[in-house]
Amino acid sequence: MIHPVDILLILVLLSVLFAFASSRLPVLIRILAFQGVVVSIVPFFLEHEMTAGGIIFTTATLTIRGIIIPWSFYSMIKKMGIKREVETIVSYNASVFASLLLIVAAPMLSHKFNMISFSGGTLITSTAITLVVAGMFLLMARRNAIAMVLGYIMMENGIYLIGTALSSGAQHIVEFGILLDVLAGVMIMAIMLQSIKQKYDNLDTAQLSKLKE
Amino acid sequence: MIESIILWILAICLSPFYAAVILKVKAFFGGKKGPPLLIHYFTLIKLMQKGSVYSNSTTFIFKMGPIASLSAALMALLFLPIAGRSPVLSFNGDVIFVLYVLGLGRFFTIAAAMDTASPFEGMGAAREAFFPIICEATMFMILILFFQLTGELTFAAYFTGIQTSGLWRVAGAPMLFVVMAFFIILLTENSRVPVDDPATHLELTMIHEVMVLDHSGPDFGLIELGAFIKLLFYSTFVARLICPIHAAHPFVNFVIFCAALSGVYVAIGVTESVMARFRMDRVSHFVLTSFALAFFATVITLEFVK
Repeated sequence: MIHPVDILLILVLLSVLFAFASSRLPVLIRILAFQGVVVSIVPFFLEHEMTAGGIIFTTATLTIRGIIIPWSFYSMIKKMGIKREVETIVSYNASVFASLLLIVAAPMLSHKFNMISFSGGTLITSTAITLVVAGMFLLMARRNAIAMVLGYIMMENGIYLIGTALSSGAQHIVEFGILLDVLAGVMIMAIMLQSIKQKYDNLDTAQLSKLKE
Repeated sequence: MIESIILWILAICLSPFYAAVILKVKAFFGGKKGPPLLIHYFTLIKLMQKGSVYSNSTTFIFKMGPIASLSAALMALLFLPIAGRSPVLSFNGDVIFVLYVLGLGRFFTIAAAMDTASPFEGMGAAREAFFPIICEATMFMILILFFQLTGELTFAAYFTGIQTSGLWRVAGAPMLFVVMAFFIILLTENSRVPVDDPATHLELTMIHEVMVLDHSGPDFGLIELGAFIKLLFYSTFVARLICPIHAAHPFVNFVIFCAALSGVYVAIGVTESVMARFRMDRVSHFVLTSFALAFFATVITLEFVK
């Protein structure tokens, strides 16, 4: 039988696959929101007994990751009238292929790590590695600035997963600190995106190379 | 054995009926009454009574095409465990045999289309040859997964009796992706809506329909019947996977199977009603998704089943 955590992690991996294949920003944001929600409910299934503080922090994480961040992106797209298509450097079919390679390579890598033996699925380390590398790939392979920020959030999701696997209860404060960092980062990025948009009328990061002192 | 042959004949007889279910669902979504459920039988009878017209520029290949494609479909159906009972024929490795028998049928359809020397049909043939290549990759990925799970290479080992529920028990959630991948293959191989629109009036956007434009009368009837059987063939996979219930009584079993099959056809109808046909360059992307899903399911299963 499959551990419930593993089913969640399969959903996360599937969301990576769809994120690589999707060419529209609203879809990408929705996928990231779904991924955020799934990643943040993993601790509920991982630990046998949750402390009250743990439950509060996990719920707060869920709210920020699954609702606040995606919603802010959504409203930003609406308010600024951003084009919905994502410009790519690597094409979508090649991206899907890369994600498949990644999903194969990550388990091999996670066996090498041999980090810890925790009570949970076998999949958690490899999912975390996949998320981190996939986030990096989105950062590199997309030219749209919002898609790049979404890649950054995907990376953070991976880091959170590793954190949950390693920690046993007491680390929520640290996790929460990281999350607040990300939230602040996203807010700053939002302001930056707004100025890029005002200056160049689109979010193509290739335009930024024109900047002169 | 007798039971298998009866089921085989029943499957052939029922395939036009089920194809009409799709039309009914589409008519329901369009707020129309739609053609009667027996429409395809009437069409087949009408076509059989007609005479044939052959272009002067065609050769014997053109006349061979419909017969070869229909017999390939009938042959493939012989190996298919209908309603979870054992198939008429079965040997080790028949999965690969059946896939290439269907490929042979497709080859003759393409050859017949090229034989007419019509530019439209050549274009359709090129598309018909291209998309199944990706489907083949998906099919083999799924077969690798099934082989991994059961250790056997026959359809009988995957779809008869309690074997199918066994697949679900061993693999679990990844089987969902296999079902989705199978459904995408079904839509592609049978030229259904997101890939090809069977009801369109514009030859430039067709895939399958444009290849059979020059066939008339009984020939066209054979092609239609072959297409219905092929659709039933793929739908049976999906139906067995989504409803792996095995009842002891053969009749009850058959009724459950028929219900599951109707579910699959209704799903095809709903897909056709709510989706528009993809742009041609997006189709390969769509079919590739099925490969990605199947590959993904295989990798995930390899992680668990050691």
